[in-house]
Amino acid sequence: MQQPMVEFKNVIKEYDDVQILKGIDIALEKGKFYTLLGPSGCGKTTILRIIAGFTNASAGNVLFEGQKINDLPANKRQVNTVFQDYALFPHLNVFENVAFGLNLRKVKKAVIQAKVIEALKLVRLAGYENREISELSGGQQQRVAIARALANEPKVLLLDEPLSALDMKLRKDMQYELRDLQQRLGITFLFVTHDQEEALAMSDEIFVMNEGRVLQSGSPVDIYDEPINHFVADFIGESNILPGKMVADYQVEMVGKQFECADAGMKPNEAVEVVLRPEDLDIVAVDQGQLVVTVDTQLFRGDYYEITAYDADQNRWLIHSTNPTQDGQQVGLFFEPEDVHIMRFGESEEDFDARLESYEEED
Amino acid sequence: MRKKQWLYYLPYILWIILFVLAPVALIVYQSFFDINGQATLANYATYFQSGTYLKMTLNSLWYAFLITLITLLFSYPTAYWLHQTKHKQLWLLLIILPTWINLLLKAYAFIGIFSQDGAINHFLGWFGIGPQQILFTNFSFLVVATYIEIPFMILPIFNSLEELNPSLVNASRDLGASNWQTFTKVILPLTMAGVKAGIQAIFIPSLSLFMLTRLIGGNRVITLGTAIEEHFLTTMNWGMGSTIGVVLIVAMGLIMLMTGEQKAKKKVTNK
Amino acid sequence: MKKVKWQNVWLVGIFILLYAPIFYLIFYSFSSGDNMNGFRSFTWANYQALFVDKRMIEIVLQTLLIAILSSLCATIVGTFGALGIYETKHRRVRNMVLALNNILMVSPDVIIGASFLIFFTFLGLGLGFGSVLLSHIAFSIPIVVLMILPKLNEMRPALVDAARDLGATDWQVLSKVILPYISSGIFAGFFMAFTYSLDDFAVTFFVTGNGFETLSVEIYSRARQGISLEINALSALMFVFSLILVAGYYLLNQRNQAQKARRKRKAGA
Repeated sequence: MQQPMVEFKNVIKEYDDVQILKGIDIALEKGKFYTLLGPSGCGKTTILRIIAGFTNASAGNVLFEGQKINDLPANKRQVNTVFQDYALFPHLNVFENVAFGLNLRKVKKAVIQAKVIEALKLVRLAGYENREISELSGGQQQRVAIARALANEPKVLLLDEPLSALDMKLRKDMQYELRDLQQRLGITFLFVTHDQEEALAMSDEIFVMNEGRVLQSGSPVDIYDEPINHFVADFIGESNILPGKMVADYQVEMVGKQFECADAGMKPNEAVEVVLRPEDLDIVAVDQGQLVVTVDTQLFRGDYYEITAYDADQNRWLIHSTNPTQDGQQVGLFFEPEDVHIMRFGESEEDFDARLESYEEED
Repeated sequence: MRKKQWLYYLPYILWIILFVLAPVALIVYQSFFDINGQATLANYATYFQSGTYLKMTLNSLWYAFLITLITLLFSYPTAYWLHQTKHKQLWLLLIILPTWINLLLKAYAFIGIFSQDGAINHFLGWFGIGPQQILFTNFSFLVVATYIEIPFMILPIFNSLEELNPSLVNASRDLGASNWQTFTKVILPLTMAGVKAGIQAIFIPSLSLFMLTRLIGGNRVITLGTAIEEHFLTTMNWGMGSTIGVVLIVAMGLIMLMTGEQKAKKKVTNK
Repeated sequence: MKKVKWQNVWLVGIFILLYAPIFYLIFYSFSSGDNMNGFRSFTWANYQALFVDKRMIEIVLQTLLIAILSSLCATIVGTFGALGIYETKHRRVRNMVLALNNILMVSPDVIIGASFLIFFTFLGLGLGFGSVLLSHIAFSIPIVVLMILPKLNEMRPALVDAARDLGATDWQVLSKVILPYISSGIFAGFFMAFTYSLDDFAVTFFVTGNGFETLSVEIYSRARQGISLEINALSALMFVFSLILVAGYYLLNQRNQAQKARRKRKAGA
């Protein structure tokens, strides 16, 4: 395996006896776009600050290209950060901000000039060199912050919720741009966000975090399709999560009925949770449905209808449908076995992967 | 890295030790010595036993109270209405401007205004009630002290009015309060911090205004400050002067406690 | 609506009261009499007398020298003091230092003067230029700290992180980010220290001894002897000086704010 750029080995961070990070093991490879995703207070920004060197790990090792950097001061690290509120220096103009790091390293004036212009071009702000920071819009400030970090030619770029202050439209545009930028530069990006859409859209790999732990890591598709527990399923996308029981391999019981599913390798009659994504549920005629529900409310979301319905046992079902139905109408719900995802209680990521391998080999 | 930084702070730390802690300690220390340099408690005994010192202290407190009260009565409405004007920052600047003028010069002006043939007596003359002895009276002392202190009261009250969220006033009106009710139930309670800051900024210096008592009060009013100056610079009884100083420091501490912890706000303090 | 607004009457009244004594002084500085009772005839004589009064000119220069030196020193010490307080993460230590800082702010001048007098005598320091300068530095430091601290507190910690992130050493963080950011606070502190020094009477009066005088002390001793219209002329000049000082400061601030506002508008457009 390729030497990781950044590696955490059982990193623990404590503030006043409270553990913010409870043993983090992650590895970031060269040239990939990573995202730390989790609710606020889950420790994702702390990981970023440890990599940047603004704070030190209480225990464990932080490696950069294989070298331990636990105690290396921030100004000696080959990583740069794009801050949440940009942290642009208000007393310097755009050029001076971008040139800040280069000036500190006593790079030749002509080289600085060239690099700043190049960095600004990269973020599509060519010609803005002499603007004051306060003259720029939020989106432009964002780009300057990125240019400033890139001008230092970091091996890893850390982005701390950089899009959270932007409005919806701009945020979407910036998602494309960041992804594009990362692919052109070929350096490692580590992006921190609490916005699952952002994470799914941009990342090569996502680390889902909660309460100081990485719960699951993997590609956006893996995480969306195969959440390992209730928290991940609930945090990433919308889902119907119902209690169930594994009757046998590939056979699950929920809402009093048995359904075929794609999971196996559990104990007989083990209590599990069943996840069904709302967009995987199709509305069909009552006699064709595996389930019959009564439509309660529906909201038009632009590209789909969000329908809330209740079955005979008063379980709530969330359905995304391109076509509207009528409130109070009885409809059938249809889903394929591979749409039914089973989660075991308390299963770790390793156990999950091991189980998946075990029965996929059998097939 | 940390060690080097200490060097930068060293002058400041030295300043705290030499010019904040040491002088206070010294003044307490000095208060236990009599005029011949003998350690004694006699200064405190004299202070508490001879009626003169206690009476002087009460007198000083009384005048400081009067000055503060009169200043407050003038300042609150001024700050309140000033706050409602257009260009309020400019008007506020005009209120502050006189504080940049040397205190002595303002006192000096009143020597002329209040003198036997001065402007006030001319004015009174038109009504046939002059000339009166105005300079060197308790009255003149009160007027000049109030005059000098007014801006220092207006400023903190004005600032607290600035901090008041205008929506609160609208909310109060919206809920059916009259102007007067809004004032007494919303505005006044929320600007008490400014009033307290103003009281602090005025009461304590009023206890120690010695040059006003000399120039304007004609030594009729003796404040704690006058007594300290007298003992230090005229009779050279530093022990007794320090004793009164300790009393003044204690009084200051009490007032600070009563008016609550004052935050270090952007305000021109009374010097 | 032709109603007289009582609040405006009140405000005008207060302004008249505040400014009347000052203009009274200035008015009589042009009078040829020898007191402030009735204007005789217009003259520049009082000003001429002032400008040939060698002692007075010397005192003015001394006062300015003390003000400049003391405010410079106080600004340097106070700036680092404020940085020290800002860097102190331990909340109780920080509050204690702040409380100590504010002692001289709330202490009556008489106490400051008397305690400094004991202090200098205790050290065996002679009274004069040195003791006055040290005292002025001492009582100006806390105001400098108080003018700078809010600026430091409003500075987002991310700025310091960003500078470090981009490779700045401790010294570079200070000189290239923090000091430029708080420069307006430092300037305000210097200005306040300067005016404190110019205005001070009581502290100087205690620690000046014989042979060295500042303007305030001189005015006090002359005022005790009675009216001299030369003082009126001096006060007129000082009034103009304060006016220029304050106006200059105000305009500088105003210009900065206007610039900021203009930029904001542009950015919003």
